[in-house]
Amino acid sequence: MSDEGSARKVVGGWLLLGGLLAVAILLSLMVGQIMITPAELLRGLMTGTGPGSLTLRVLRGPSTLTAVGAGAVLGVSGAIFQILLRNPLAAPDVMGFMSGAGCAVVAGVAFGLLIPLPILAAMGGLVAALLVAGLAFHRSGRQSPLTLILVGIGIGFFASAVSSFLVLRMPPQEAADAQRWLAGSLTARNWGHVLQVFGLGALLFVVLALQVRAMALLELGDELAAGLGAHVERARYGLICTGVLLAAVGVAVAGPVPFVAMMAGPLGMRIAGVRHPASRLTAAAIAGATITVLAEVISRSAIPGLQLPVGVMTGIMGAPYLLWLLWKEVEAGEL
Amino acid sequence: MTGNGLTTTSLTLGYRERVVIRELSIAVPDQRVTSILGPNGCGKSTFLKALARLIAPASGHVRLSGHDIGEIDTRTLARRLSILPQSPKAPEGITVSDLVRRGRTPWRGLLAPWSEEDAAICAQALEQVGLSDLAERPIDELSGGQRQRAWIALVLAQNTPYLLLDEPTTWLDLTHQLEVLSLLQKRNRDHGTTVITVLHDLNLAVRFSDHLVLFGGNGLVAEGTPEVVITPDNLQAAFGLKALVMPDPLTGRPMIVPY
Repeated sequence: MSDEGSARKVVGGWLLLGGLLAVAILLSLMVGQIMITPAELLRGLMTGTGPGSLTLRVLRGPSTLTAVGAGAVLGVSGAIFQILLRNPLAAPDVMGFMSGAGCAVVAGVAFGLLIPLPILAAMGGLVAALLVAGLAFHRSGRQSPLTLILVGIGIGFFASAVSSFLVLRMPPQEAADAQRWLAGSLTARNWGHVLQVFGLGALLFVVLALQVRAMALLELGDELAAGLGAHVERARYGLICTGVLLAAVGVAVAGPVPFVAMMAGPLGMRIAGVRHPASRLTAAAIAGATITVLAEVISRSAIPGLQLPVGVMTGIMGAPYLLWLLWKEVEAGEL
Repeated sequence: MTGNGLTTTSLTLGYRERVVIRELSIAVPDQRVTSILGPNGCGKSTFLKALARLIAPASGHVRLSGHDIGEIDTRTLARRLSILPQSPKAPEGITVSDLVRRGRTPWRGLLAPWSEEDAAICAQALEQVGLSDLAERPIDELSGGQRQRAWIALVLAQNTPYLLLDEPTTWLDLTHQLEVLSLLQKRNRDHGTTVITVLHDLNLAVRFSDHLVLFGGNGLVAEGTPEVVITPDNLQAAFGLKALVMPDPLTGRPMIVPY
């Protein structure tokens, strides 16, 4: 493979990935109970009047952009753990961090705590991560990624069970809302949600960008990373915290949507044809956004007159992929 | 101990139950190729890791130019000393040039862009290991010898006056072992790099080293030039090996013939 050939392939990959996201966004704005044509959308954007404008400003724009933001932060979060643990199963949804974040939000609502959702979600995610690390702790200081993942799955089930218990004790209307949110929901998002997910997401992306070089060293193994000047433990904890917080930002606006974080990294890497952590994280952001926006369109239009939670759709897309990954691990003798 | 170079004073490594190196004080000669030899489990790898600060001493000190290595800033140390651990694992799909570029990390400012100097040093490292033509190939597609040379290019790109390698010839066939060791020797001759390796093969070590450190089951057996270190008595003490030592017909250095 020549240098130029591979460079052209990579550019093509990025264009394809970006194109898919653009198509998904356009579909999401067009499709619904009333179809809006691209021409109407353009007119709405330019003039601020007509059905296109209403769709962009109120009906679909905020939900679509929230889906973009939530998908991006979840995708990046997943890619961080997949790179750190060198395992495609490692992601905040599989490892229970998102269930933990969701559980904390439900608890906040159930007990009437006046704490902003992103902070509740962040606390829940970090507690879940600490529990996973604590329970998988081994005196040798070396636990296998698979142990961490399995313990994480357990913590996830526990957090979900606690959430269900809390929901059962709520008044009926609140319980229905909470149930819906826990399944991962992007309906009726407003510009506040958009601002929140993009603001916090951008902040965390900057924090992450400062850690990417250390990440590229950690990928080579702890000893080489240390030899190349990385503070190995500090770098690892920094990246884990950033990953958990990114997942929490996603959960705060969209609920614990399953499988986006897990699918985005490998999908983005394949489509863009990239390898370096910086590129993988970027590709994961775009892929995560695309998956979430698409899942949101389908969940809204698959069954006329019925609005499914977006998490149901990502579940239907993600579960076969998870099973395939597990089957591969079994084949490789890892499980 | 002198204030120069890489030295240890009363260095003890290991833990209460199992001390592998006890009270060792030596100086590694600057700008020479030094090989650390000894039987399995004698602590030669542990010793190398301690020299690179990957392991903290139980007691005693490792010093670089007179400064305790534990107190040197991490990035400063990474600009002075590089280490290639034994059998490193490459991330899946990474290309040779991507790997080698990461060797420049300690020299780059947090937000500094990739400089022409970085590019030139990486190109030079690739050329020195003879992989310029394979730079854009994924490491997984290379042969064992090529892969090992790619890893060496990574630490060459780090461009440090001290270069430490833990068994850089493991898993390689004899031709590739020679290739790797001569390229390290060339680096030493051309750049004055102090090369310190852990090696298994005694004859190869003698052939390519200026200085040897020989460990046995109970610590240091001998240290010095190959002529001083490689004697039947020392080999018996370190390995329990009965061997003749005779001059290598090619180089005149000691050659070991076990019997």
